[in-house]
Order: sequence, then C-alpha cells, then structure tokens
Amino acid sequence: MSIYLPIAELSVNIFLLLSLGGVVGFLSGMFGLGGGFLMTPLLIFIGIPTNVAVATSANQIVASSISGTLGHWRQGLVDFKMGGVLLVGAFFGSILGVWIFSRLVAIGQIDTVISILYFALLTGIGLSMLIESSKVIRDRIRRKSVKRKIHYHNWAHRLPFKVRFYKSKLYISVIPPIIIGFVIGILSATMGIGGAFILIPAMIYFLGMPTSKVIGTSLFQIIFITALVTILHATTTFAVDAVLAFFLILSSVIGAQVGVLAANKLRGEEIRALLAIIVLGVATKIALDLLVEPNEIFNLSVIRLVF
Amino acid sequence: MPSISIALVIGSDQEEIYIDANFSGEELLVFGAFYSDPSQSRDSKSDILIEVVGPPEDVALRKKDSYFGFWLNSKSVTFKDVPGFYYLSSTSELTDEFLTNNQIGLLEKKKSEMIDWSLLTTDWGSIINEKEKEEFYNALIRTKQNDSLYKQVSDEIEIIDGNLFRSYIDIPNTVPVGEYTVNLHLIIDNEVSQEYSYNFIVTRVGIEEAIYSFSKNYPFFYGLISLIIAIIIGWSGAEIFRRFRRI
Repeated sequence: MSIYLPIAELSVNIFLLLSLGGVVGFLSGMFGLGGGFLMTPLLIFIGIPTNVAVATSANQIVASSISGTLGHWRQGLVDFKMGGVLLVGAFFGSILGVWIFSRLVAIGQIDTVISILYFALLTGIGLSMLIESSKVIRDRIRRKSVKRKIHYHNWAHRLPFKVRFYKSKLYISVIPPIIIGFVIGILSATMGIGGAFILIPAMIYFLGMPTSKVIGTSLFQIIFITALVTILHATTTFAVDAVLAFFLILSSVIGAQVGVLAANKLRGEEIRALLAIIVLGVATKIALDLLVEPNEIFNLSVIRLVF
Repeated sequence: MPSISIALVIGSDQEEIYIDANFSGEELLVFGAFYSDPSQSRDSKSDILIEVVGPPEDVALRKKDSYFGFWLNSKSVTFKDVPGFYYLSSTSELTDEFLTNNQIGLLEKKKSEMIDWSLLTTDWGSIINEKEKEEFYNALIRTKQNDSLYKQVSDEIEIIDGNLFRSYIDIPNTVPVGEYTVNLHLIIDNEVSQEYSYNFIVTRVGIEEAIYSFSKNYPFFYGLISLIIAIIIGWSGAEIFRRFRRI
C-alpha cells in the first residue's frame, strides 16, 4: 500500500514510512536523542528529495522533543531561562541557516553540502559513541566506577553580561549560550536536526551546566528551534511535506515510547555500541556516494514554478 | 479517386488522470481501429504511431566532476520548455529519417533553442562547444529515461484482428501535473496518412490538491498547522503512554 506525498510529489510505501519512523523513534526513545540525524539521511536514501527530507525532519523533531520535554519538565529538570537565552541565538542562526539552504538549492549544491555535513556529523557521533561505550564496557569488566567532574570553570565565566541561572546554579555571561544557540540554529535549518548531539556536550563543557538539567533544557529549546525552522522552510523553500510528517510523527512517537520501555530493561552499552555501528554505516554510505564515481554523472532537477 | 484508403478511429479510456492519496502511477489506455477500404489493395504497409507529450517545464541539468576525489556538481545547464513526460510508440521500428521528416521525436526538437547556456551557473574554465552541447542534450534524454519519464518503444502496441489496436501506456507516479497531448499517426508506406490529437489532464484532487495549494497559497498557516499536528501528536502520545504505564 502506498501513499502519494503532495510536496515531495511521489508515492512511497506506507509501511516503509511507518517502520522508518518507528525505528528512528525507538532509537531516540532508547537513547534520549532527537533522531533527526538518522531520519534525514534515511529519508534521502528512500528517495525523498533532500529539501523535503530536511524540512520535514524538522517538523517531526518538534513532536518527538515535546514528548521528551514533558517527562523532564515534570521532574523539574528544565532550565527555562537558559533555554530562552539559547533560543535568542538559535532564532538568528536558523534564519541564516534557511537563507544559506535556499541559496544552496538555487546553485544546485545542496545535496553535496548536506552529504558532507552529515558525513562529518555522523562520523563524529558514531566514533564518540563507540569509544564511550567501549570504555564503559571495559570499565565494567574491570569493575571500575567512572568518576565525572560536575562543574567546570573556564573562559565562559570571564565574559561580560553575566546573568544568574538559578536552576543550573550558574552565574555566567549570556554570550556563550547565545553563540551556541546561533550555531545550533544554523545546523538545524540546514540539516533538519535538533542538534542535541552538539548542544548537550557544549552545554556541559562550555557552559558548565549540571548534567541532570542538560537533556531537558536542550529538548525544551529544540522544540522551539525546530518549530521555527519548520515555519521558515514552509514559507521559503515550500518543502515541508505534511503527509510525510504525519506518518513519521505517528510512528516515531509510538516507537519512542517503546524505546523508553526497552531502555529500562536492556543493558545500555552494548546497544549503544550497536547504534554507533549503525551510525558509522550510514556515514560510510554517504562517503561512498561522494567518493565513488557515480553511474550517472548527470542529474536533473525541475525548476519549479510556484503558482 | 479515393483519397483515404484507411480510416483511423481512436478512443481512450479517460480524459483525466487524478492524483489522489492512493496514486502510485497509472496505465493510460489508448485504443482504436483502422479499417481498410475493401476496394484498395492491402499490400501497402500501415503502421500506428502513438506520441504522448507532457506539459513543458524548465529543468536544470548538472554534471558531476571529480574534485580532490569528491564527486561534486560542477557545470549546470538549463533547458527551457522540455516536455515533462514523453512517450513514443509505434507498431514497427521507425527510421531516423522518417522522424526527422515528420518532426516527431525528442531528438528533432531544436536543441539550441531548448538549451539556455546563459544559465550555466558554474563555469570551471572550460570551453563550451558543440560536443559538450550534444553531451548535455543526450544526458537530458538519458536521465529522463532513467526516471521512466521518457520512453521510445516499438513493441507496445497490440494489433487485434488486423484492424484494432490497443496500447497501455505507463504513467509513473512522478509525472508532472498539467495538460498532456496524445498524437496518433497512421502511417502508410512511410508517409503520415492521418493524424489525430486529443488532450488529457493530470491533476491533483481531493486531499492532495487541498494540501498542495494550501502550502503554496498560505505557506505560513500551512507551516503552523504542520506544527500544531506535531504538537498534538507529540503531547498526546506522551500522555497516553504515561497513563498506560501507571496501570
């Protein structure tokens, strides 16, 4: 059974979409990730045009990050003030990102740039996950407990415009969070990701936020970045496919909840290592597409006229 | 002096192809009859030719080149007013000479008129010559063929009882919307004896049309509604499962 996607202008198998959303949702629920970094390349692999894949992923992440934020908010683990400051930067970043995106579409380089960005992102994520999980597994075998430093003092504490963030117990300048938000905004708009993978380490290491508040706060602000990115794409690139988004959201929300349940029952590190390998596999496929001489060196795109 | 020895009568099963939520391509049936005048000899060779031409569109064709080991888009050429869909079918193989004489077939379009070299976005310093034009032109046909949007065949028309013909034409799910023209030619002894044309329309209907035109006419509200749907499903999904887990 297939469904015709009105914006992508092609028909795809409904079960393929549902299982794609379900699997990505499952992984995101299990590991507490947004899943955009897998959703966008997988959509491109099944033949969805790059611009539609990016714009629609952003729409889907809105749903998954709302689900995630609710849980953290109930436990009081969201620093709304920090989220708000990050959003100031993200607002301008995503406007710039969508502008860059539509320029790249116009000169025909969007596919290449997206491929390179995704290759870099996925390789980084995959390798760090693999290293981290293998370390934990090794430590477990040696019965060692991992100690982590909770608070960092660095250059972020010496800049002007300092503000007190009570929830995170921080007194730092607003400049670093605004810059971080700005960069995440650009990446979110051009890649169709929430950016938690970059945001979370940045919040811990650059801002020195307590680890417990980081996930909820990043999810909270991802809702708003991806919401903004969705609106910007809908109005400038016209690439948000509501039908595609609907099926992905439906299946990913269910998948995410199952993933959360599974995460409580299964041992994390082995699965984390497995996910790392999946991520590296996707990265390898993207790299091969860039490096191996294609069968057809010409590609055609219709210059659509907007009526 | 009978000037018409064979008459052509044609029919088609539909004047419109609707793209709805279930659309996954369609088969267009073109059928008809050509009957002979008994007073004429049946020695002369008669062929049927069916041509389907889709709505014109502008396309950008990009060529990949290797830069430091990476295959990246480099040269880009814009083609103006190329058919979004093209299908040519005949009961026997047609010669290039025949196609040229009768101005049938894609290759007979005036290449230089169709190619807009002014929109060559990236020029890496090479010279644009006739050979390169030819290469781009052939690549246009080839890429369209790979997407099942261009096709030229000589074995898809069924002849029944010597007088009836029938052909099922594959309309893939990626076809552009717009007006299509079906041209039928009756060919006798390598001469076009009769021509007949009619149009049909490929159009979005129902929810597909509603969503598409809403997204183009009211993009902000379209984005907003997409967001609201995401928020509702995201929120209610989490709530339903939270209650479910408590039980």
